[in-house]
Amino acid sequence: MNYQALLALLFVVLVGWYLSFSASRLDRLHHRVETSWATLDALLQQRAALAHEIVAESNLDPATAYLISSSATAARNANIVERSAAESVLSESLKLVQGAAIDHSLELPSDLLVELSDTTAKVKIAINIHLEAVNATRNVRAKPLIRLFRLAGKAPIPVRYAFEDDIL
Amino acid sequence: MRKIRIGIVCPYGWDTPGGVQTHIRDLAEHLIDEGHFVSVLTPISDDSTEHQNYVVNAGKPISIPINGSVARVLFGPIASSRAKQWIASGDFDLLHLHEPAIPSLSLLACSAAEGPLVGTFHVSTPKKKAIYAIGPILEPIVEKLSARIAVSELARSTLKDHFETDAVVIPNGIDGQKYANAKIIDAYSKNHTIGFIGRFEESRKGLQVLIDSLAIVARFVPDVEYLVAGPGDSKEFMKNLNPQLRSRVKFLGLLSNAEKESFLKSIQIYVAPNTGSESFGIILTEALSAGTAVVASDIPAFKAVLENGEAGELFKNGDSADLAKVLVALLRDDDKRKRLSENGRLSAQKYDWQVVAEQIENVYEMAIAGGQRVTLASENRFWSRR
Repeated sequence: MNYQALLALLFVVLVGWYLSFSASRLDRLHHRVETSWATLDALLQQRAALAHEIVAESNLDPATAYLISSSATAARNANIVERSAAESVLSESLKLVQGAAIDHSLELPSDLLVELSDTTAKVKIAINIHLEAVNATRNVRAKPLIRLFRLAGKAPIPVRYAFEDDIL
Repeated sequence: MRKIRIGIVCPYGWDTPGGVQTHIRDLAEHLIDEGHFVSVLTPISDDSTEHQNYVVNAGKPISIPINGSVARVLFGPIASSRAKQWIASGDFDLLHLHEPAIPSLSLLACSAAEGPLVGTFHVSTPKKKAIYAIGPILEPIVEKLSARIAVSELARSTLKDHFETDAVVIPNGIDGQKYANAKIIDAYSKNHTIGFIGRFEESRKGLQVLIDSLAIVARFVPDVEYLVAGPGDSKEFMKNLNPQLRSRVKFLGLLSNAEKESFLKSIQIYVAPNTGSESFGIILTEALSAGTAVVASDIPAFKAVLENGEAGELFKNGDSADLAKVLVALLRDDDKRKRLSENGRLSAQKYDWQVVAEQIENVYEMAIAGGQRVTLASENRFWSRR
């Protein structure tokens, strides 16, 4: 075998290794996007349920109570396109509750307040984990060799939700 | 949160003193108290000494210069295979890797593992040319972390610059009670005492700036005393000092943990004159929770901890005349000093381990929520590629 053929072979092996490596990398990322979304989705549902419970158990004024239950319902029923906006509205209105509970102008059972701040903290982390998984996946899918060989297959491109920055 | 099996990887030598090692030790002990199973994989220089039973030795570290100081880290084929063995036999629910973006054991463990991985980034460095060269190699490895923690806003923006990924900010924890209840030592609390702790031979610790301020401070407050704690040779600093002022500076050598707590509690003012490349400044939070007034250079990390001067006074970085002005004003005004230390004590509460550990556990809970466990990465499992 001459020198050039050897080089060509080496090149093919290298490209092959890179493709196999990228395929498992991409597979791992797609999997992570799915699981992190499932976690985030479950948490957001839990938060909406908690919002309804807060309305039922506290002495909120009718206007705030209406705002919270309507935004919780909207967040639960939202479709993919409306979801992030609806969740952001709910975040904002729940922030009002937290503020009022801290300066004691609102009577709220303390276990609900603890659950609320706990859930809020977890939502922030879950959003971060999910967004990073989405960004990394889109980043890898945009690489030229990976697009050329269609390594992403039929997996749908992950949606990048725009959650409000300050809830992060 | 349910009780889980956690593997923590420490990048630096376990038996050399350092902020990251202390952080990992406290975190591991806190998690064990909470009922979790914890194993810490770390390099150890002297394997003849006994260590905590949760520590697993990965080999002897070597010294390489990183970020202005010398770090004792470990990598290479033997370390790599030990990391793989530890991951394969540990049956972990989650791995917590500290500083996974420098050449170290954490990076090895990160590339060998798959599943719920959490990374904590401690350093903040300006973007270097080198990152363009090693970026493409590190990217697929750092990308495997399902959740990232940065110890400060600075560390977070470093991460954003280098890898274009975001992180949750959780500060380093401290045991606030220990400092608040430390015994007062009369020798340190008499007169007007000003304290400093650190490896003062490193110029970035800024001891020279503090010593240079003495000439002015001593003119206005004649009984002032500078107490310098930490390992190192004091001759260099004494040689350049006016002989009349030499008796005003005392070098105390390396303090034990209990001595350090008492030291911070006893002194009137703690000064952190560091001239740069600090990411967080744990020593400031320790002095604050002891209830001691803190004066620090206005580098970004310290500005953040001192909340722009609310929790402690700032002076112009490297400017010993400005430092002297701030010190004299504080030493002469007891009320101001008391007010400052009270503000500081309150602001340090958010760094207490009770608060910090709960935030870290929240991250763990979110990272393992998918129900996966830690395994060797498929590239390393020749016998079964999934």
